[in-house]
Amino acid sequence: MVAILVVIWAAASEIADTPLAPGPGAVSRALWTGVRDGTLPRAVLTTAVRLCVGYGLALLVGVPMGIALARARIVKDTIGPIVLGLSSVPSICWLPLAILWFGLSEGAIQLVVVLGAALPIAVATENSVRHVPPPIERAARTMGARGARLMLTVTLPAALPGILGGAKLGWTFALRSLMAGELLFVSGGLGQLLETGRDLGDTALVLAVVVVIVTLGRASEVLLFSRADRAIARRWGVESP
Amino acid sequence: MFAFTKDWGGARSHAGAAPSVVVATAGGASVALDRVSLMVRVPSGDVEILREASLDAAAGEFLCLLGPSGSGKSTVLNLVAGLAKPTAGRVLKGDAEVTGPGPDRAVVFQEAALFPWLDLRANVEFPLKLQGLERAARAARSEELLRLVHLWRFADRYPHELSGGMRQRGAIARALATDPAVLLMDEPFAALDAQTREILQGEVERIWSSTRKTIVFVTHNVREAVRLADRVVLMGTRPGRILHQEIIDLPRPRAANDPRVAALANGIARRIASEVEKVAREEADDAWVAPGGRSGGDPRRHLGGGI
Repeated sequence: MVAILVVIWAAASEIADTPLAPGPGAVSRALWTGVRDGTLPRAVLTTAVRLCVGYGLALLVGVPMGIALARARIVKDTIGPIVLGLSSVPSICWLPLAILWFGLSEGAIQLVVVLGAALPIAVATENSVRHVPPPIERAARTMGARGARLMLTVTLPAALPGILGGAKLGWTFALRSLMAGELLFVSGGLGQLLETGRDLGDTALVLAVVVVIVTLGRASEVLLFSRADRAIARRWGVESP
Repeated sequence: MFAFTKDWGGARSHAGAAPSVVVATAGGASVALDRVSLMVRVPSGDVEILREASLDAAAGEFLCLLGPSGSGKSTVLNLVAGLAKPTAGRVLKGDAEVTGPGPDRAVVFQEAALFPWLDLRANVEFPLKLQGLERAARAARSEELLRLVHLWRFADRYPHELSGGMRQRGAIARALATDPAVLLMDEPFAALDAQTREILQGEVERIWSSTRKTIVFVTHNVREAVRLADRVVLMGTRPGRILHQEIIDLPRPRAANDPRVAALANGIARRIASEVEKVAREEADDAWVAPGGRSGGDPRRHLGGGI
């Protein structure tokens, strides 16, 4: 299927015959050039490190926040509406504020990534903790589990399919926020390389970077989540959302 | 009423068989409710769930709580389990007051209480792990219990891979793991089909005979109550209270289709009918009430009464 698409792409770019629509050959050459001179690997590394740091922070913030939202009435009543409201704001909107706070630094771009990913993770965690079937926790309590132990050994495992769904969503949000941030903000990374391609009018380079981003996104999802998905399917008999 | 004239094989053979596995057990303990009332606050005001209920089960007794929805029978179970606290009165296990949930009072719920992320063996071992039992002892105990409920062959299966009846047998095995003095069963077979239910009733009777646990078994199925119980406690609604108790003095093991069970069940069912009618009247709109005049038991009329 992919081969057919590539052939159609090649034919279309031949017919169009303009530098604005480079064919697969030109894009491959741009990819190879980027790899050889090191700009592409450096950009991938910068982006990947940012993504991992930001996503890790988002998990550390989002999961506990979701638990607190589900379990502490006072948290739900105070920051609950804020979290829901903010999660519908594209996180890139925070970049100007982040730059004012942190300057043109990693901190500014990380704030955008963490905000983008942590909120969907928190919302999904809250929902899945809230919807753990009551008999499961009641049964655990009659066995003598309570407090942190109940949360860690029963409630969180029971909520895991939903939390994993939120974690996946958070990953794609993190990637999107990061790309937007890097496009607007001169700081290395794949987003900036896209911007460089535009500045030079190098359509082939722009498309090459897009191919790299797609590959990075898909590969990371498979690496990170496919095992977890299989484990969930085996134990629960269902896919995580 | 007499739909169960066919002998569903398993029910009788299980009930008749001597216990094939003997499980180490410390036997049962007595349970008592001493003038227990429970009020619950809802947005529209306080609701009286249970009024001045006094009840006791002797050590090793098989007690069935029977009643329509809203009669507080599950509440009684939750109070004994320590999952609910009485507004007034005392709940006792042995001589000690119940202050919270504990592994000496295990509960089997209606459904969905096995942990889906653990296989059957790990489910049974979960309460033992909480108690800090070491691995080898846990393994020995879980094998013993899974054999008792005839599920040893399925020890590595996850709950979603099991039928409803197997899940409930697994839940019984898990409840027995900590060797509780009291086994509380909250409509454990309500979601099962009739044949499976009868087979499991036979199993519960067998397990009870071999372990001599005190069992408090909640059901709205009259025949189930009569088949299993030493004593049936009939509960009424609005507010939940104890209406009547009846000792079931039939020889054991009892067959599901025993005509004496059916006869006793019919007598109790008639008693319940009037109580259920009362609920139906209250849950229907006013037009339905009209012939009899005012409704029998508006919950608001009892607000604060009897405390």
